[in-house]
Amino acid sequence: MTYEEVDQGTHVVLAPEGKFNLVAAPPIKARIDDLVAAGKARLVVDLHAVDFIDSSGLGALIGGLKAARQQGGDLRIAAAGDQVRAVLKLTNLDRILAPYATVEEALHGW
Amino acid sequence: MAGDDAPETTEYVLEGFAVPDQLDAVHALLAQAAGEHPELDPTDVMLFETAIIEIANNVVEYGRPEGEVRWKFTIRVRRDEIEAELDDTGQMFTPAQGNAMPDEEAEGGRGLPIAEALLDRIEFERMGDTNHWHMVRRLGQASQD
Repeated sequence: MTYEEVDQGTHVVLAPEGKFNLVAAPPIKARIDDLVAAGKARLVVDLHAVDFIDSSGLGALIGGLKAARQQGGDLRIAAAGDQVRAVLKLTNLDRILAPYATVEEALHGW
Repeated sequence: MAGDDAPETTEYVLEGFAVPDQLDAVHALLAQAAGEHPELDPTDVMLFETAIIEIANNVVEYGRPEGEVRWKFTIRVRRDEIEAELDDTGQMFTPAQGNAMPDEEAEGGRGLPIAEALLDRIEFERMGDTNHWHMVRRLGQASQD
């Protein structure tokens, strides 16, 4: 899996592509940790190009969310597809990782 | 609607090593089954895929000796259900079945609860020197999930 990263100054957008699974999750979580450690704690994960997520991907998002919030920031997700939304709902993670329709909406308040 | 001469069950099989790269082959196997069965509801296929990949992940992550475990995935499409059987040569394994979904803050422990929530039957058995998973999702109930 590859991912794009765009630093917009006030926030960073990470856009993974393909399957956000046990292969892809560790490097993305490591990158989120690096960004947060560097003071970039406002993060948007743009999921428009992710066609499948598993529990490893969910774990990376939750871990990233906790890391960002500990530094006074946040991690928000945008443009999730049907499978991602179904798994978020099934696991109740939509309560703390509310999926925004677009990256622009996710930036609200930043 | 299948014709009267359509077979009751069609079967798709994948054999190889239970390593991370092979997870794509599991996705591809189910995509092949879905492609040849346009009558399948895409939501059923999506949720079944989500479930069986969690079990496949389990074998890839915890099967030992690492990188040497072989598996055989069999997917069967029937008129009223879709079924997967997964046999692997890893060490004896005791899955913690029946656990509730972890709290929102937890970073792990969701794999098996996700699979259990999306399947109508999920059974594990140690058969000789093989771990055997049997997974079934009944078709046509996607709106209930």
